[in-house]
Amino acid sequence: MALLDVKNLHVEFTTYGGIVHAVRGVDFSVDEGETLAIVGESGCGKSVTVQSIMGLIPMPPGRITQGTAHLRGHDIIQSKVIDGKDIRGNFVGMIFQDPMTSLNPTMTIGAQIAEPLEVHRGYSHRQAMNRAAELLDMVQIPEAAKRARQYPFEFSGGMLQRSMIAMAIACEPSVLIADEPSTALDVTIQAQILDLVKSIQKDTGMAIILITHDLGVVARLADTVSVMYAGEVMEAGSVDDVFYRSAHPYTLGLKEAMPTNQTGRSRQLKPIDGSPPDLFSPPKGCSYAARCPHTMEVCLENNPNAFAMQDGHAAKCWLHHEECEVEAEDLYQA
Amino acid sequence: MAWYTVKRLIQGIITVWFIATATFWAMHEVPGDPFIGEKAVSPEVEANLKARWGLDKPPLEQYWIFMTNMLQGDFGISFAQESRSVNDIILERFPVSAILGILAIVFAGLGGVLYGALTALYRNQWPDVLIILLVIIGISVPSFVFASVGQLILVVINQILGFNVLPVAGWGDISHMLVPALVLGLGTMAFLTRLMRSSMLEIVSADFIRTARSKGVPAAQVFSRHQLRNAVLPVITVLGPSVASITTGGFVVENIFGIPGLGQSFVLAVQQSDYGVIMGTTVFYGAFLVLMVIIVDLLYAWIDPRVRLE
Repeated sequence: MALLDVKNLHVEFTTYGGIVHAVRGVDFSVDEGETLAIVGESGCGKSVTVQSIMGLIPMPPGRITQGTAHLRGHDIIQSKVIDGKDIRGNFVGMIFQDPMTSLNPTMTIGAQIAEPLEVHRGYSHRQAMNRAAELLDMVQIPEAAKRARQYPFEFSGGMLQRSMIAMAIACEPSVLIADEPSTALDVTIQAQILDLVKSIQKDTGMAIILITHDLGVVARLADTVSVMYAGEVMEAGSVDDVFYRSAHPYTLGLKEAMPTNQTGRSRQLKPIDGSPPDLFSPPKGCSYAARCPHTMEVCLENNPNAFAMQDGHAAKCWLHHEECEVEAEDLYQA
Repeated sequence: MAWYTVKRLIQGIITVWFIATATFWAMHEVPGDPFIGEKAVSPEVEANLKARWGLDKPPLEQYWIFMTNMLQGDFGISFAQESRSVNDIILERFPVSAILGILAIVFAGLGGVLYGALTALYRNQWPDVLIILLVIIGISVPSFVFASVGQLILVVINQILGFNVLPVAGWGDISHMLVPALVLGLGTMAFLTRLMRSSMLEIVSADFIRTARSKGVPAAQVFSRHQLRNAVLPVITVLGPSVASITTGGFVVENIFGIPGLGQSFVLAVQQSDYGVIMGTTVFYGAFLVLMVIIVDLLYAWIDPRVRLE
C-alpha cells in the first residue's frame, strides 16, 4: 500500500458565476522516499488538489464531491486526525509559493517554527525554541540562535523559504508537500532550495509531493510525474517515461514550449495555441481536444480513460486505444 | 528617530501657538464680556473692573501680555471664580476628566476589538448583522443623546429594583464612572468595531493564516495568535486621534452627568465669558491632544517591528 494514495478526487467551488469544477478525477500516489511532481499550467488545479486534501481550502465555497485520500491506510478526507493527532504539520508538512506572505509578520521566525512542536509534540516553549534554532541551523541559516529571535521582514526571500522548510519538517513528517516552493525566488536561490529539500529527503526518507510548472525543476528532483490539465491528470509515469516517451499530445506541447540550450530554427519555441477550457462547463469529450493537433471525432464526444502502458506509465488519450490507426509511437519523435 | 521626535515636537508647538492665537482673537470678537451679569453695573464700576483686569488696554497689548505669561506657564486667574488661578483649576479638574477619558478609551478599545472580532467570526450571520446595526447607530447618534438616554434607563432600573444599582449623576467612586465612561466611549467603540471587522476579514484570507492551519495549529490558536494579533494593528493606529473625539465628547457628557471635570468647567467658562479659563483650558487641551498624537505615532513604531527600524 502506498504511503499517500489519492483516488478519483473531485473538487468544486460554488461561485456567483456558477460551479467551477476545479479538480475532476485526480489519482496519484506516493511512497516513502519518493518524489512525485505534479506539473501543469496556472489554474489547472494542482494547488487545489493538495490543499483540498489538507483541508486548507475554505469550505464553502469549496467542496470535495467524490474521491478518497488515504495516508497509511487512514481516510484523511473525512478526518484530519489519526490516532488523536492532527496530520497537518505532524505527518504531512507543507511549504508554499510565496515565503514573504506565508509567514506571520508579527511573530518571530523561531516562534513560528516552534509552534508545530508545541502543538503536536507537547514541547515547552523553551524546548521548542531551542529545537527551532537547531532546525534553522539544519536549513543552513547562519547564526541560527540569533536569527530565530528575528521577524520575517528581517529575512531575505531565500532565507524565509528555508525557514518555511524548517517549519514544515519540524515534526519529521512522512510527506512533504511543496506547493511551488521556488517560484517566487530568483534562479540561484531556487537551486539552493531544491538541493536543500533533496538532501533533507535523503536524511529522513520522507516522501515529497512537488507542485510546479517548471519542467526543469521536475527533471532535477522528481522520480514520478503527473501532468495535469483542466483538473485532470493527462499523463503519469516515471520522469524518464513522461519526458522521453511522452504519450500525451499535451505533454509534447509543453516540451515544445520549453526553452533549451540548443540553437537553430528547429529549436524555436512553439506555444500551444488556444487556452484551457472553461471549468464552469467542462467539455464533454477530452478537455484538450480543442487545442490538440491530433483531435479525432471520438475526442470531442467522449472523455478517454487513462490507458495504461508499461511500468505504471499511463496517458488519458484516445490515440492509445487499440482501434486507433495513428501509432502512438510516432508521436514520441514529434 | 530622535530627529523625527524633535521635528514632531516643533510642529506641535507651532500648532499650539496657532490654537492659542485663534482662540484669543475669536474670544474677543464674541459679543459680551465677563462683567455682564444679571445685575446692572454702573459705567464707573465697569470701567474700574476693566482697568483692574487689564481689559482696557488695546487688544494687541493684551495678546502680548497673555502670550508672555503663557510662555512662563502662567494662564492667569479666573474672572468668575475670583482670585483662583487657572492653573489651579486645571490641576484640580483635569485628573477627573483624565480618569473618565482613560476609562472610555479602555471601553472603546476592548469593545471595538471584541465586537469587531465577533462580527468577523459570524460574518453575514445574525450576530454580525445585529452588531453592525448597532455600530451604525453608535456612529450616527451624538453622545449627548446617549448620555440622556443612559441616565433615563438608569433611573428606570433604579426605580424598578427599589435601590440605586448605579448612581445617575455625580462623582465619587468607580460606580459613578461606569455609565458616563461607557456613554463617552460608545461612538469610538462603534468606529473601532467597524475597523476591526474589515481588518479581521482581510487577515483571514492571508497566506500566513493558511500556513498556520497547514501546521495543524488548533483553530482557537490560529485565531488568537495569528489573526487577532495582526488585525489589531490598524486599531492601535487610530486610538490616538480617537483621544480627541473622547475629549470633546467629554465636554457634553461631564455636563449631563454632573461630573466636576475640566470639560464642565470649560463649558461654564464659555457661558460666563471667563476669558482666563477659556484660554487656559483651550491651550491645555490643544497641547494635550497634539502630544497624544505624537505619542501614538512613536508608540506604533515601537509595536510594529517593521516600522521600528526605518
